[in-house]
Amino acid sequence: MEFSRINTDVLVIGGGLAGLNAAIAAAEKGAQVVVMDKGKIERSGSIGGGVDHLGAWLNSGPAWDTREAWLENAWRIGKGTAHLSILDATVCDELAAALDRLERLGVPLRQPDGTYLRTQAFGQPGPTTINFNGKRMKPALAKEVRRLGCRVLDRVMTVTLITQKGVVAGALGFHIRSGEPFLIEAKATIIATGSTNRITQNPRMNAFNTWQCPLDTGDGQVMAFNAGAALTNMEYMRITIVPKGFSAAGLGAFTAMGGRFLNAKGEYYMEKNYPAGNKAPRNQIVFQTLKEIQEGRGPVFIDCTHVTGFDARHLATTLGYDKDTLPDYLAQRGEDITKRPLAVDVSEGLQCGPTNETGSGVKIDRHCASTVPGLFAGGDAADHHRCVRGCVTGGFSAGKGAADYALKTNAIEIDPTPLRDAFDSFMAPLRRKTGLSYGEMEEVIGKVVSEHMAVGRTEMGLNIGFEKLKGIESHIGLLKAENFHELMRANETRSILQVAKIMNRAAEYRKESRIKPYHYRLDYSETDDQNWCGLVVVEKDGEGIRLSFDRTVHG
Amino acid sequence: MPPVIDLEKCTSCGLCDEICMMDVIYMKEEDSRTMPYLKYPEECWHCGVCRQDCPSEAISIRFPWYSLII
Repeated sequence: MEFSRINTDVLVIGGGLAGLNAAIAAAEKGAQVVVMDKGKIERSGSIGGGVDHLGAWLNSGPAWDTREAWLENAWRIGKGTAHLSILDATVCDELAAALDRLERLGVPLRQPDGTYLRTQAFGQPGPTTINFNGKRMKPALAKEVRRLGCRVLDRVMTVTLITQKGVVAGALGFHIRSGEPFLIEAKATIIATGSTNRITQNPRMNAFNTWQCPLDTGDGQVMAFNAGAALTNMEYMRITIVPKGFSAAGLGAFTAMGGRFLNAKGEYYMEKNYPAGNKAPRNQIVFQTLKEIQEGRGPVFIDCTHVTGFDARHLATTLGYDKDTLPDYLAQRGEDITKRPLAVDVSEGLQCGPTNETGSGVKIDRHCASTVPGLFAGGDAADHHRCVRGCVTGGFSAGKGAADYALKTNAIEIDPTPLRDAFDSFMAPLRRKTGLSYGEMEEVIGKVVSEHMAVGRTEMGLNIGFEKLKGIESHIGLLKAENFHELMRANETRSILQVAKIMNRAAEYRKESRIKPYHYRLDYSETDDQNWCGLVVVEKDGEGIRLSFDRTVHG
Repeated sequence: MPPVIDLEKCTSCGLCDEICMMDVIYMKEEDSRTMPYLKYPEECWHCGVCRQDCPSEAISIRFPWYSLII
């Protein structure tokens, strides 16, 4: 086996929304760039099929429409899950340029009359979200990446980073159809691999019917962790509200256009229970919904029957921007949301940032640098970026930081000989004729995570869960794959298991509850700002996990 | 499972195979013709990209029966 070797200044792992913005930034700085993605960058990642929102401030006059108001809100809703100085540098500094860039590339952020359509949801201080048709956002960005001369390796899964003397010097990967092995030597490497899905049991009876992209399986976070980089906010298990039989994006559209949460007793429970009502932060909507169901007032619904005229037509349209097939689903199910309330449920869990403003994953500084030289992160895989805004700003910021570093750094000489063994360990499932499929193993991981680490955590439950995850790990050597597609999935399963272990230890360490129900400890059910306002930091320690705390302060 | 490909309309261009992020759609030779098929239908994320980008509008979305009931 011989690697196809490529030298570059900057390697971007993950060609989703953050990765493509990172690639553009690095290329504009004059760096050579390679982008590797498990799919094809024109259509891969969480917004590959479209998106309808970008949270922004536009300085249009009102106090809520400013950078200061956004940061204040990030602190209020984020409850200390980010350093405001890092949000300021990697998100706020980049927003205006990001909006200009998207418009220059043909993403229609404005309505045909030149104005922005702006909506309010999820605890925002005003109608800050730009509502737009983002169905062709990925093709537009991909076109620019290719125009700038970035080398794109579509359908290549990255399996491990190359570390030489404590410095990240590139990565190894394989083509998911042909199996061609790649060795990328890079002066700087960016993790832009999104969040971790497929980690809990899926109430929709299909492991791949996830709210966010099921191709995002924490590969980058695990590679960074194994290379010695710190991760933070990994304890949070995020959940949303979805239509009963189909886990899909769209909650923001429902609530922004006036949807009201209704219980089986005919009560509008968010309006009754929470000051911001239906426009409460997402975690509050999920928390209150779980409470309604647990206390016997379910099933629950989103009621849009009062939405009429432009708003009703727009709701139908924008749901299809955010999730292309959601209108088909509703039609095939016989639902008319203008005629009767839509039955909804809580989604599966995923590991990602605790709020729409604050992230989880690779711990970054103001230049998106990780704690290991040569390694950077942006977007949902970085601990200070979330959602579309976080990807278009934070991704770009990571590209700039990585290019600045790469252009003043000498390449490290790499000896491929020891790398062959490392690479070979990721190929092992191909050699097994009998064993466990990735599906079987993920079912067991999902069972353990759902039973011991989901909403309502306890010390004993978490510890039992951790032992069970170690038990699953002892079977990882049995994973089999009949082809390179299955090999990709088997390696994703390894990533998911590792993220589950990290999530478990971080959740056990944080002896309080924060952003309930995303980290809800039944044995420490209150939020304790005195001791726990900040980030739980997770690092590799031999074969174990080292935990520490990084306090955050307002200001 | 979600994408339903109308082989009468399909021109065998292979774009759906190329752009499917979940690597669900493959091409195969059958009756001396290259045509797309769903190799891993259960791994479809219902992103709708294949339908959006199919140049001959040969793809429609049909949800699994159980998802319309539960």
